[in-house]
Amino acid sequence: MTTALQYTLSGLAIGGIYALVALGFHIMWSAAKAVNFAHGDTLMIGAVLAVMGVDAGLPLPLACLLAILGGALFGVVLERFAVRPFIGANASIGWMLTTIAVGIMAESLATMQFGGFSRPLPSPGVARAISIFGAGVYPQELVIPAVAVLTMIALHVMQRHTLVGRAMQAVAHNRQAAALMGIDVDRIVMFSFGLAALLGAGAGVLVAPVIQASASMGVLLGLKGFAVAIIGGITSGPGVVLAGLAFGVMEKFVEGYISTAAREIVGFSAMILVLLAFPQGLFGRREIFKV
Amino acid sequence: MKTLHILGFALLAAILVAVPLTSGNEYELRLFMLFLIYGVIAVGLNVLVGLTGLVSLGQAGLFALGAYTGAILAIRFGLDLVVASVGAALVAGLFGAALAYPSVRVRGVYLAVVTIAFGLIVENVAIEWQSLTGGTTGLTGIPGPNLFGYPLSGYAFYAVLAVTLFFATLATHNLKHSGYGRAMLAVAQSETAARSLGIGATGIRTLAFAVAAVTAGIAGSFYAFLNAYISPDIFTFSDSVRFLLMVILGGAASTFGPVLGAFILTYLPEVLQRFAEWQKFAYGALLLAVMFGLPGGILGTLGQLYARLRPGPRGVDPAEGIPAAETLAGREPASLETVGLTVRFGGLTALSAASVRVAPGEIHALIGPNGAGKSTFVNTISGFYRPSEGGVQLDGTDLAGRKVHGIARLGLARTFQNTELFGQMTVLENVLVGGFSHHSYGLPGAILRTPGFRREEAACRAAAIGLLDFVGLSEAANEQARFLPFGHQRRLEIARALATRPRLLLLDEPAAGLTTQEIDELEGMIRKIAGLGVSVLLIEHHVDLIMAVADTVTVLDYGQIIASDRPEAVQSDPRVIEAYFGGPSAILDEEAA
Repeated sequence: MTTALQYTLSGLAIGGIYALVALGFHIMWSAAKAVNFAHGDTLMIGAVLAVMGVDAGLPLPLACLLAILGGALFGVVLERFAVRPFIGANASIGWMLTTIAVGIMAESLATMQFGGFSRPLPSPGVARAISIFGAGVYPQELVIPAVAVLTMIALHVMQRHTLVGRAMQAVAHNRQAAALMGIDVDRIVMFSFGLAALLGAGAGVLVAPVIQASASMGVLLGLKGFAVAIIGGITSGPGVVLAGLAFGVMEKFVEGYISTAAREIVGFSAMILVLLAFPQGLFGRREIFKV
Repeated sequence: MKTLHILGFALLAAILVAVPLTSGNEYELRLFMLFLIYGVIAVGLNVLVGLTGLVSLGQAGLFALGAYTGAILAIRFGLDLVVASVGAALVAGLFGAALAYPSVRVRGVYLAVVTIAFGLIVENVAIEWQSLTGGTTGLTGIPGPNLFGYPLSGYAFYAVLAVTLFFATLATHNLKHSGYGRAMLAVAQSETAARSLGIGATGIRTLAFAVAAVTAGIAGSFYAFLNAYISPDIFTFSDSVRFLLMVILGGAASTFGPVLGAFILTYLPEVLQRFAEWQKFAYGALLLAVMFGLPGGILGTLGQLYARLRPGPRGVDPAEGIPAAETLAGREPASLETVGLTVRFGGLTALSAASVRVAPGEIHALIGPNGAGKSTFVNTISGFYRPSEGGVQLDGTDLAGRKVHGIARLGLARTFQNTELFGQMTVLENVLVGGFSHHSYGLPGAILRTPGFRREEAACRAAAIGLLDFVGLSEAANEQARFLPFGHQRRLEIARALATRPRLLLLDEPAAGLTTQEIDELEGMIRKIAGLGVSVLLIEHHVDLIMAVADTVTVLDYGQIIASDRPEAVQSDPRVIEAYFGGPSAILDEEAA
């Protein structure tokens, strides 16, 4: 029982990270029908910059803030130079490969600056574990899923009730019509990628104290975040967050009872199966096919 | 271009023979053999990426499947190089074909992510299934390459690899220049149109996945024999990216591009070593540079340059063709009957109990105001939509439950309201695609270019040229379809539909966007088509055209058929007049009084 609770709680923590990454994919996809395949590296940039900031003697909150802003800047620049030139081409291979290329470059730069090893980010959230019915967790781990859910709610409110949020929805729906209504589509898309990267880097800062920060941490987390976004339905914010939390918990159980390799096998197989049964994801909207 | 290809194959053969004679040491030869293996993967992947337009980022998974299958067959069962590699090809091919299934449901990025997931699953199964794969330590002690129990020398193994690459390149080249290759390109450029021409898109995609998987499997098995040791970390996501990059860098869809790409990316690490820690960064930068600088790849860009410097003839000589009447001879025009056809979208009834009968050989026009349900009618008959109630019969054959391409093969061809051409193929190639369902040569025939294959291809070409002449486009036969003026695009669609040798032709608003003169020409063309023994169902807004050409006119309004009769009778039908001009209103009546 305690083991199950332990798995659930730490699963929710890593699931919260997947949820935040997947929310980023949701935002990018909604605006541009394109995503950043280097989104995992945005997370890595957040984590690595935060550790380097602390190394440089900055106070922790300032280091975290700068790291998140750095990640967001990365997202904006990447959208401008790697994604925008390829949007609208009928094949998605262009921006897929350019963003992968930028990811490779970012990872290699990070390896050079940060070193090839892993380091934790010191945080008061992991100073002392607390016990919940016998299951030991760090407060940081409880904070992560809460942040994911709150972000989702805030995003929802923004999409519904602010001008920029409505503009994002309009662009998602029909780029040309939105442009004709006087919306600066390019800026909205850039804003979306920036916002997505902000969440990604935030996830990196949040997770760095729990798992260690390293230059290569981004790839797998990014791919899993994308898998989660697809499972939840990339058009649905609440859907991807729910899927993220569930995916995290499932992973911890498989990992705990079988092995790490089995975790990846089960996780990615689940994604393929969900996609076959529900091409739009569990909570996604159907796209209508017209001849 | 044809001479260039022959020169290319001669050059490839010369290089493959020359390298072992000149290579200085074993390391150099081994590296070149590694390139041969990667070349085989890239050439097969090109069929999937270049021709069929599907992105696979999981090719390392299929490569791994081949490597492990080959290794295990060799270690446990003592099988020789060829048998083990055939086993590897089979296993990888099966998984590849299974991988095609998701493409029925999802496309684009989603499919790419499925392939990524597949690659990761294979990698982790290799780690987890220790009893079979040796887990993270991998498999050691793979016997040296041998054939029928005789060990192969380094040079003999080299010869096996070189011959495999040469013939894999030749086979994919022949595949590309056959009906299968055209069908792949067609599915990539407009799946809707391809299906309407009788091409089963799922079958074509499965074929492409299987080709890419079989080559990756063979390459994997060769790799296991070359390396004598395999472990899961040789088959990672970044390897999948590298395989894809080989195709893109060299030139997707070109014959030798993937070989060139594989060569460059095999030797690149050697060159990049001087960048030391910047090696991976330089690799990423190169990938970025290729995407921006050479989106068509090296050979794709050179090919375009060559075509611009030495443009071929714009058209073809109509004398090379056989007359359209001959192509379309020997079939009877079909009748079409819908009984109580009803189509609902959610709460909206787009078509309500529509019963229409198109008599064999007649020109039947379907008209109606915007939103009357005409498009729904056409799309339901041709199989794109499923009727909620009622049914469609073509010459008494029930079409219920048949797929779009199955209906097309029964003899129903169509054009599209928003033209759906294969834009990056030439005008002539567009029409050739229409002949796909009449090819009787199989895949082996296409790859080996058998005499039967050559004969059929020549006949198909002659028929296509005749049809182009029929619609007056033979002068533009070698132009890319997307560069045609709009009116010509419409005519090309008609020629392409006729190439399926239909018994009933659906024309979906063929006059939309045409000039008056073009409409006059269209009128003549529709008459000639009917004269060739094809029933015509014409969906049109243009009343003059309909009244001039139609034998029977059916009028749809709000999803219901309000009249179906000879043109003169329909023209004076009060209900038709009301639908088009509005009925007598109370206000107007009062004013008149």
